[in-house]
Amino acid sequence: MTDQITTDPTKPSERMRAGSMTLSLGPWIVAAVLLAVLPFIFTNNSSITIMNQMWITVIFALAYNMLLGQGGMLSFGHAVYAGVGGFACMHIMNASDFFAALPLPVLPVFGGLFGMGLAMIVGSFSTRSAGTVFAMISLGVGELIAACSVIIVAFFGGEEGVSGDRTYARPFFGTEFLQQIEVYYLISAWVLIAAALMYLWSRTPVGRMANAVRDNPERAEFLGYSARWVRFYSFVASGFFAGIAGGLFAINYEILTEENLNTTSSGVILLVTFLGGVGFFFGPIIGAIAFTLLQTVLSLQTELWAFYAGTLFVATVMFFPGGLAGLMMMHVPVFKLGKARLLILPYLKTLLPALIGILGLSALVEMVFHVRHAAYGDDEMTLFWTTFNSHDILPWVVALGVTAIALGITRANAPALRDAWNEANTAGGSA
Amino acid sequence: MSTPALELSGLKKSFGKAEIIRGIDLSIGKSERHAVIGPNGAGKSTLFNLITARFQPTAGTVKLHGEDLIGLEPYQINRKGLSRSFQITNIFPKMTVFENVRCALLWSQGYKYSFWNLVNRSRDLTEGAEAILEQINLTERRNLPAGTLSYAEQRALEIGITIAGGADVIMLDEPTAGMSHSETDYITDLIMKVTEGKTLIMVEHDMGVVFGLADRISVLVYGEIIATGKPEEVRGDPKVQEAYLGAALEAEH
Amino acid sequence: MDLILVNIIDGLVTGLLLFMLSAGLTLIFSMMGVLNFAHASFYMLGAYFAYQISIALGFWMGLLLAPLIVGVLGAGVERYGLRRVHQYGHVPELIFTFGLALLIEELVQFIWGKNQMAYFVPDALNFSAFAIAGNSIPAYKIFMIFISIAIFIGLLYILTRTRVGMIIQAALSYPRTVEALGHNVPLIFMGVFGVGTALAGVAGVIAGPVLGTFPGMAFVLGSIVFVTIVIGGLGSLWGALVASLLIGWITTFAKSYNIEMADILNGIGIGTPENLDESLFRDFWTITSPQIADILPYILMVLILIFRPSGLFGKRHS
Repeated sequence: MTDQITTDPTKPSERMRAGSMTLSLGPWIVAAVLLAVLPFIFTNNSSITIMNQMWITVIFALAYNMLLGQGGMLSFGHAVYAGVGGFACMHIMNASDFFAALPLPVLPVFGGLFGMGLAMIVGSFSTRSAGTVFAMISLGVGELIAACSVIIVAFFGGEEGVSGDRTYARPFFGTEFLQQIEVYYLISAWVLIAAALMYLWSRTPVGRMANAVRDNPERAEFLGYSARWVRFYSFVASGFFAGIAGGLFAINYEILTEENLNTTSSGVILLVTFLGGVGFFFGPIIGAIAFTLLQTVLSLQTELWAFYAGTLFVATVMFFPGGLAGLMMMHVPVFKLGKARLLILPYLKTLLPALIGILGLSALVEMVFHVRHAAYGDDEMTLFWTTFNSHDILPWVVALGVTAIALGITRANAPALRDAWNEANTAGGSA
Repeated sequence: MSTPALELSGLKKSFGKAEIIRGIDLSIGKSERHAVIGPNGAGKSTLFNLITARFQPTAGTVKLHGEDLIGLEPYQINRKGLSRSFQITNIFPKMTVFENVRCALLWSQGYKYSFWNLVNRSRDLTEGAEAILEQINLTERRNLPAGTLSYAEQRALEIGITIAGGADVIMLDEPTAGMSHSETDYITDLIMKVTEGKTLIMVEHDMGVVFGLADRISVLVYGEIIATGKPEEVRGDPKVQEAYLGAALEAEH
Repeated sequence: MDLILVNIIDGLVTGLLLFMLSAGLTLIFSMMGVLNFAHASFYMLGAYFAYQISIALGFWMGLLLAPLIVGVLGAGVERYGLRRVHQYGHVPELIFTFGLALLIEELVQFIWGKNQMAYFVPDALNFSAFAIAGNSIPAYKIFMIFISIAIFIGLLYILTRTRVGMIIQAALSYPRTVEALGHNVPLIFMGVFGVGTALAGVAGVIAGPVLGTFPGMAFVLGSIVFVTIVIGGLGSLWGALVASLLIGWITTFAKSYNIEMADILNGIGIGTPENLDESLFRDFWTITSPQIADILPYILMVLILIFRPSGLFGKRHS
């Protein structure tokens, strides 16, 4: 094991990008098997509900990343394309004659087409430039359409939205999609198809040029490509897949409201995508899974989940702009060098106390919140399976003490981790 | 004489009140290697940017193989067979070296905006890109992100991108700027090799490179061409010596 | 005629309030090239701080202290947050300020809860200044107008007549050169960010009592402020002023005159369809101007971006 990195630069980086360079079927088969098996592991209804939401978010986040990660376009109003696709699907559900002749699994295609149609209209003027102007137009158009939802009642259904019944569709091989599990498999099939198509898109000429235009629009123009049209095609494709996500939302929840269009939804998808990591194709998938878990599991535990999510988001932007996927891929060279073992102990020594410290901090936050906002006379609170009086001094001392000690240990051990990291990333030496 | 590869007539450009290019007439024949030299601030890069539609000229015409280029977008000009490099390295830094070159091949191989082809299924693309990498000597670096290459390698890559599309008129803006002696030799050889049989127009400061490469030289001073001719003619031209050396001396002081 | 006058005053109040936010935002933008999504959040913080201070020390101390605290916080955000993210590029910067806006809203809810605060107009200003045809104009509105105009004049004076202003103006266009001349450009950036957010804080202090002090107040105004500076032209102070007033008046007038879309369409010679109730466009025909008052700025912005991407007064074509 001598200096592999500099003498043979092709290997590690090639493998690092292996997922994106070759059309290997491996990951897709694993994903398909996982999707099929998961309902047998998590059998209760609420897990299936969570997974349905997760896969829909996966499609939406991947579609969003076609813009943000691959095309360098920051949209603040992307929920609109998913929403309009979803509303269109609701109307198709309510058009009884047509819907009765349509197998339900085909419905999302219509959502996609409507999302795409809207993206074509908006993209015709918004994709002239990337950067700030694009972001502002996306925000403006997003707000406009969201505001239209209460004005154009015929399409958006006003305050109460539009609802329908998916079971009126033509039975699909005898399935009427009465049960959640049937819907689960419908969504799972779509998540595979959509993800595969989006992945393939990134390998096409226009998909490659999207990256080129993101990196350097001027150079791309001098290679014969109009940066504007490249952006336009990315935008339209992204609108299509967002529309598919919207269609699946319509099937799953059977109702769409103004909430599916507004800036909050657009912000959430930005958050999900960035959290997962915009630099890699699979980043948004991780983001969608992590965020949905955070949202559903954490919101059961604490009222403050949005506060934690916001903190996590800001911390991600500041310290890990590569997101979760970036963090994971950082370790690939270490594994290639066969030095992952070197990191285990330092990681334990640093991250374990860090975790305890963060939990301690959140305990303090929860206690402050309780003291400030709990009903008068309600001094008892339960935290980490312990019930105590939040107005006593002892819990505060304990929480503060644990947090301070844990963060202190983290701080003390951090240099060792940094050294180990450098060591593990340097080729050669005793591996 | 057949239609010149590139023909400029009466080309002018003003920024506000400052007239940077004051009426240039220049005709460059097919397969000619033409160098534009001149002191700093003479307007060489501006001239390049006018030809390639980075700026709109105030007056005058630019013709490529007899076709008017004024009013076209950069990508349209590129499709007509004119390709350029930039003074400040202009590549796709986050993409691999191989992808940089492959992207440069897409349009000329007719892929346009297609989304029904997969780039890594195309043998033509892969082989074409590999051939270019071979030419510019970057085969070993093919899978590194382009931004991590050394400066000279990035310049070589940019030349590779510039020629990859198969354009027959190549414009290079100071290809050897900021390079060491050996790097300059390397790039000069490279330019020689890759522009074989093509029309080359380059702006260059290094006189060694200019006199080694160019068939003809134009001297640009304060937005005007004061002489055009074979290297030895230009070198001997007293007007050039006076103006160019004078201005060069002035610029140094 | 009298109603018009009342609306003009109301629109002026809204417009000047918008201007106090957009002035800081546009200055920050032209200097650092980053649109601060969290700008309205500082406006909200101004209102909340002023409320908290006014409980103990009264309204006037709130007006004095709250913007200062907000400014210091803003400078801190620039120094420890934005400057760090800056190295990753513009898109992460925009995302950072977006995340910050979310976080500040959650933080405010965490500290003060979800309800509206009992933050009111001070007694000293709680009277009717004068009346126009039976419509009384509160003294507080006049006070708001005066404060905003005073701030605008002060800002103009500092930017055009003082040494600091000259350096700032130079740093707007040529940060590198100014740095080479020995000025501490990062410090100037931090200062401008601090002053910009402090201005937003002032707006929050004086708007809190009339528009309400609640966790959604940043969100309500936030995107409108963006729209304002985009319409005015990114980086242009005059553009921000004109666009602010324009939006202030457009929304005020649209709300007070009930104009129906059918009237406009009939007016330009398009007849109302016979069976309107069954028509797909019935909602379109029955749109009224108060209904769309709040989205008029967005429509205006989209039109501006399509036809004049650099805004009304914008110079740079970014």
